[in-house]
Amino acid sequence: MNEFAREVLRLAGDEVKTCIQCGTCSASCPTAHLMDNSIRKLVKFVLEGMKDEALNSRSIWLCTSCLACTVRCPRGIRPIAVVSALKQIYEAEGMKNRDSIHEEIFNRHIKERGRVSEFFLSAEYMLRNPQSAAQIISFGAELVPKGKINIELRPDSIEGRDEVKRIFEELGGA
Amino acid sequence: MKLAYYPGCVARATGKEYEISTRSVCSALGIELEEIDDWNCCGATHVSNELVAVGLAARNLARTELPVMTGCSICYSKLRSAVLRLEDNEIQRKVNSVLEREYTGAEVKHLIEVIMEVLEGADDVLIAPLEGLKVAPYYGCLLTRPCGGIDSPENPSVLEKLLRTLGAEPVDFRLKMKCCGGPIFMTEEVAASDTAFAILENAKESGADAIMVVCPLCHLMLDANQHAMEKKFETKIDLPVLYVTQLTGLALGLGAEELGMGMNSVSPAPVLEKLEEMRAEGEV
Repeated sequence: MNEFAREVLRLAGDEVKTCIQCGTCSASCPTAHLMDNSIRKLVKFVLEGMKDEALNSRSIWLCTSCLACTVRCPRGIRPIAVVSALKQIYEAEGMKNRDSIHEEIFNRHIKERGRVSEFFLSAEYMLRNPQSAAQIISFGAELVPKGKINIELRPDSIEGRDEVKRIFEELGGA
Repeated sequence: MKLAYYPGCVARATGKEYEISTRSVCSALGIELEEIDDWNCCGATHVSNELVAVGLAARNLARTELPVMTGCSICYSKLRSAVLRLEDNEIQRKVNSVLEREYTGAEVKHLIEVIMEVLEGADDVLIAPLEGLKVAPYYGCLLTRPCGGIDSPENPSVLEKLLRTLGAEPVDFRLKMKCCGGPIFMTEEVAASDTAFAILENAKESGADAIMVVCPLCHLMLDANQHAMEKKFETKIDLPVLYVTQLTGLALGLGAEELGMGMNSVSPAPVLEKLEEMRAEGEV
């Protein structure tokens, strides 16, 4: 087992290596039909140490985190944890795409302020990924007149933001 | 009944009518809500580092002695997942080494669990039952996942039961547990809309007058996004999507304003009209 496989197992649980490739995860996945590699195959890539194939798979980013795979796996594996591990390794390797940029913004907003403002999240994402502008603006046009988007000058912060920052820094490095 | 309330970030923005109707319904049912002081975001589905996600949840849970109630299925699932992970002493020790208040265990409840509990003892408060209204109960993904929560993750019936208690008729709805695609909407719009639209079409075909949702992200996908998806897929849906608290509030006789009904994107007027009609017929 190579270093990549060991790192995924460390993050996602040792039980991943008991996978029998039954495909229950893929069959339960709501976005499986849109994926390049099924969740079952992603697990196989991991166990075979096929780092490039796993990290370059679009499937990682099409996971909606719905947990259907995870409640059904007959081996008690959490395929969601495999996907999360791959996202972390992707980011740690310095790789970037529109999905990882969104995750990075989301995490940073929580880390700095303790909460997420949909207005600031969308605004920053739109600047970093201009292709998303049409979609975000049209959604805003639907929600702003309903009073459901708080257009703020400065986002709110919670008082305990230092504690939240420590959660990211001290637990995130572990 | 007194509970700690965890609103979640969305309750303060795109899910405002959920928060408004939650407070109105809880007040009408005599449920006292004490908002968790200085709560933080649960991380939703976007914090990939598991220990960080558990830490974020634990900080919220450690800030109260009361059972914690939330109406958001994502928050509910994340808080519950954390409670399960925190049963591991090593994880609990690591998390507590960072927290200002020590986590020692917690009880997490979804809002619908609380509503059901109260109504079971006193359904005479339902002064305006939803007779004749056909509703598609949409569970979405995280209400029942991970295992061990409010109902079976494979074959749940809690929403049908609640709808019958309210006097409405739950319709059979094949995609009731298919994820709405909300968590990837911003980044993977094509995939998310594809998923959400299939759910809307299926609910429509089931003959429902409305869809009932229990999560603000499901609401965003099925309600706020409905007009855009109708254009994209060139198919008229026109199906009101109401929060569980809006429907419960109507059965409790609360007014449309107290339930934030003006904030829904798809007008709930046909639902209100049908209820009026059915009531008028019943009186004749």
